[in-house]
Amino acid sequence: MKDRAPASSRGGRRRPRVWLVVALIPLLVVAAGLGAAGAQRRYVVAFANVTEEPGVTVEGTGFTGREIHDGFVLAARQYPVEMVYYDNRRDDARATQNADAAIARKVDLYIQYHRGAANAAIGQKLKAAGIPVLALNYPVPGAPLFALDNVAAGRVAGEALAEFALRSWRGQPTAAVVVGDLSATADRVPERAQGVTEVLARRLPAVHVTPLDTKGNPAQVGPLLGKFLAAHPTGKVLLAATDDTTALAAKSAVEAAGRVHDTAIVSHGVDRTIHGGMNDRKEIDPNNRGSIVIGSVAFFLDRYGYEVLPLALRMLRGESVPARVPSRLVLVTAANVFLEYPPYDMN
Amino acid sequence: MKPRAIVAVVAALVVLAFGSAAFAQSDCKTLVPASPWGPNDQTGATNRVTPAVTKAAATEIKDGKVIAMSYPLTDGVPLFGTRFTKTILTATTLAPGGALGENQLTYMEDTWLSQSHVGTHLDGMGHIGRKDCYYNQTPMGKFITQNNMTKLGLEHLKPFATRGVIVDMVKVYQQANKLKANPACKKPCLDKGTVITGADIQAGLKMYNVTLREGDIVIIHTGWGDLFEQFPAQNALYNSGEPGIGKDAATWLISQKVVAVGTDTWAVEVIPGESPKEAFAIHQMLLTDNGIHIMENVRTDLIAAEAASTGRATFFFNMTVPKAVGLTGNFVGIEAIR
Repeated sequence: MKDRAPASSRGGRRRPRVWLVVALIPLLVVAAGLGAAGAQRRYVVAFANVTEEPGVTVEGTGFTGREIHDGFVLAARQYPVEMVYYDNRRDDARATQNADAAIARKVDLYIQYHRGAANAAIGQKLKAAGIPVLALNYPVPGAPLFALDNVAAGRVAGEALAEFALRSWRGQPTAAVVVGDLSATADRVPERAQGVTEVLARRLPAVHVTPLDTKGNPAQVGPLLGKFLAAHPTGKVLLAATDDTTALAAKSAVEAAGRVHDTAIVSHGVDRTIHGGMNDRKEIDPNNRGSIVIGSVAFFLDRYGYEVLPLALRMLRGESVPARVPSRLVLVTAANVFLEYPPYDMN
Repeated sequence: MKPRAIVAVVAALVVLAFGSAAFAQSDCKTLVPASPWGPNDQTGATNRVTPAVTKAAATEIKDGKVIAMSYPLTDGVPLFGTRFTKTILTATTLAPGGALGENQLTYMEDTWLSQSHVGTHLDGMGHIGRKDCYYNQTPMGKFITQNNMTKLGLEHLKPFATRGVIVDMVKVYQQANKLKANPACKKPCLDKGTVITGADIQAGLKMYNVTLREGDIVIIHTGWGDLFEQFPAQNALYNSGEPGIGKDAATWLISQKVVAVGTDTWAVEVIPGESPKEAFAIHQMLLTDNGIHIMENVRTDLIAAEAASTGRATFFFNMTVPKAVGLTGNFVGIEAIR
């Protein structure tokens, strides 16, 4: 009895703790469930694309809006997101309608890729609806901006040309050309030319840079370049093309003028015309190292989804995101094209 | 030049020559895992097909029904770019006066000009590597001639006489209400780029109450093979991508110690892949790192339909691989026997 009483007494003291544990179990279960749900939560992310019109290229490159869309589709496979796609059709009214639709749908985040005056008002609307915005290439006031830096891209191209000239043509008379749609200010193509010119002026001060404006017509590359080469019958030529189509047209013009051994070309974009599938004839290719197109600055527009969605998820998780995030730029050459763009299309 | 200087120059050249060779060869022990079947293993996962495994698989044969799992190998089927297959018939004895002897014997033979990875085919151990390193840490640069490999050829494989399991991914996706088909498919199919996960495969097994056993061969029906059947009309679409297993599914299948994985697609794995900067990473996981065979362009619709109509997804897997010395793979005939 003497022993039992303390035991009983001990039991009496423990019972409330047992009840406490029992009472806490449902709470713990609910909390665990909420935690699991939080970890596996699928966010609804809207991507309002600049255009999805078939065949229409964007940013003064060979990439189409559809390729950017497809890049988001592929990237989204690995993230806990449900994507909703809109086509801004390069139209302010349409972009506004898309934002309204996303607000009605109560998306968790809105990725806005639109070049127009409506961006400010759209940003205000989304903010009022409590929907965070991530801007792509063109600012939305108050939203982080993921953007292509065209001047930086031009500098990469300029460095590649300068390096080539210093390595291969040191001491030889050299001229330089920047060819492309140099009047496409909306696509910021002149900024590429600016970057190229800056670097060449610094690294090769004796080299004069001549701009050749195709005004968006690749068929003009041949006549413009033909005249230039005729006016410079001797010496070497560094040629910066503002996009890959222009680069390929320039290569043809150089071949037609018989100046292959005098010319080096660096391009911008790295669209499919220049890297291609497994069995395409690829200008930049490990098996085509002798090409006068020595490289192109990759903009990775077709992989924006892989860079933008991680930023979107960081925003959704309440993490800070820099106000401006530059998109990746890489000089793609025959030496690294299969690292950056391993071909998978077997056609 | 003084003798000492000549010796120094020669020594420097020797160092440079051998140094360059050393740099060209990778350290395969750091790039590829060792085979669980020992340092001399060239066989890979068919080591798992033991007599006990074959005997157990034989119990799958209940009524002798044979279901084809190969596509016809003929001109016009999807081939990758520059790959080709061409037959030339020798029929000279059919010409007037060409028959032999009083018994008038005539004969015909074929010359088959073809690459080995065409049609329904098996990827052998020498098909895929990481840099110059192949299955079981093999530095392949040392084992290739102009004509073939001197290591890891098909002649080292054991028979594939084991149990096959069909996983009907179309049904899995339909039941989960997540099937996004391609409009070019006449029958339901998963669209290209669809990543099949380990959970998807387990759902497909659960559908037929199957538990994988060591030594099984897993066949996945995606429906994409419908485009192969429409050859040549849909060849470009068929080759442009495919649904397939991702890294998660590959990891799970490796853990199940299967012998081979086959699908009605041209690469088994999802294309475009999960990472745009990787090329055919699942091939490396299965073949290079684990010796698990890959079978491509497998006809899966008939066995999937058979499983659906009978409620049984297992069968005796019948496939003969020629003892083709030094080859990296070959076209095969496959049947499911029930």
